[in-house]
Amino acid sequence: MSESIKFDDVELDYELPTLEREISQEVISMFGTGSLDFNPIHMDPVWARNVGLFMVGKTIGHGQLTIALLTQVITNWCYKEGGKLKAIDIKLIWPLFSGDTVTCGGKIVAKHPRQIEMSFVDIELYADNQQQKRVAVGKAQVYLP
Amino acid sequence: MVRLSDEARELIEKFQKTAKQKEFQFDFFVDQTKYEKWEDVVIGTEGVGERTFVVKKEDIESYVECTMEENPVFKDEEFAKETPWGGLIAPPMFITPVVFWIASAGAGSWIRTPGAINPGQKIEFYEPIREGDEITIKSQAYDKYLKRGKRYLTYYSELINQRGELVAKWWGTLILPYSKDEEKHKIKGGKK
Repeated sequence: MSESIKFDDVELDYELPTLEREISQEVISMFGTGSLDFNPIHMDPVWARNVGLFMVGKTIGHGQLTIALLTQVITNWCYKEGGKLKAIDIKLIWPLFSGDTVTCGGKIVAKHPRQIEMSFVDIELYADNQQQKRVAVGKAQVYLP
Repeated sequence: MVRLSDEARELIEKFQKTAKQKEFQFDFFVDQTKYEKWEDVVIGTEGVGERTFVVKKEDIESYVECTMEENPVFKDEEFAKETPWGGLIAPPMFITPVVFWIASAGAGSWIRTPGAINPGQKIEFYEPIREGDEITIKSQAYDKYLKRGKRYLTYYSELINQRGELVAKWWGTLILPYSKDEEKHKIKGGKK
């Protein structure tokens, strides 16, 4: 990557490279095991069917996985060069059902110049499912070198 | 009594790798009557997590894998050494398994409630986590409220490493289902 991610060089409205992932039951079960979140709404397809979960009868992906993927949009963009996530505030607005595909992205919406190494940008984050329905929105603050 | 299905168990066993994952009680239906309930939480109550999360190499590797992470900063020691991080770090959201591990014993068990929904999270990040770190948690019952008939519970937690440095501040919120005891009166002929 030749693009500079220095605070002085990045521009407002710049769109970070997006990230797309399929949220299959395998992916959900793998994430649940790796993150120790074994809630049956994610992990048990049989229970989800039996209780007619969300009137769809399917398990849903972990909100924490969606949040992890949203933070990957940022870490993929700037962590090799020494950018650092300062804070996130994310709202999950619609479930990702097993079998859905999620696309995560972000855009620089503000620049906050500070003293050396303390300058940061605001990034608006979003996640959409395969029907272009928005499933998450939020904001991140990111220190840039 | 509801239990996790065989299909769910087989999927979990397929992905279990680390020592922590293997000893963890992954059936959240078991003991669910003992979890803290929304109606019982007293705002302002403070607590310290009963366990310490000692970060092993396999813990980070497993989290990196389960999040389909491709960034060498979290995977490739040689590469990470050449970056401003000076070595491997855990991804920021590695704090998810840290919190589930610590909260699975004693205080904080409400996050295991079957049917709990994640409406979004607010987190501030400070020191990155690295292999060998020992993470503890201090938390406080921060807020509970009703919105559109649903019950929200927020805990404020501080994650701290073995040097006493702040790792993260996390305002963690879940929507909790109504407990069985409270629903009983709605069932005709149900036990009071």
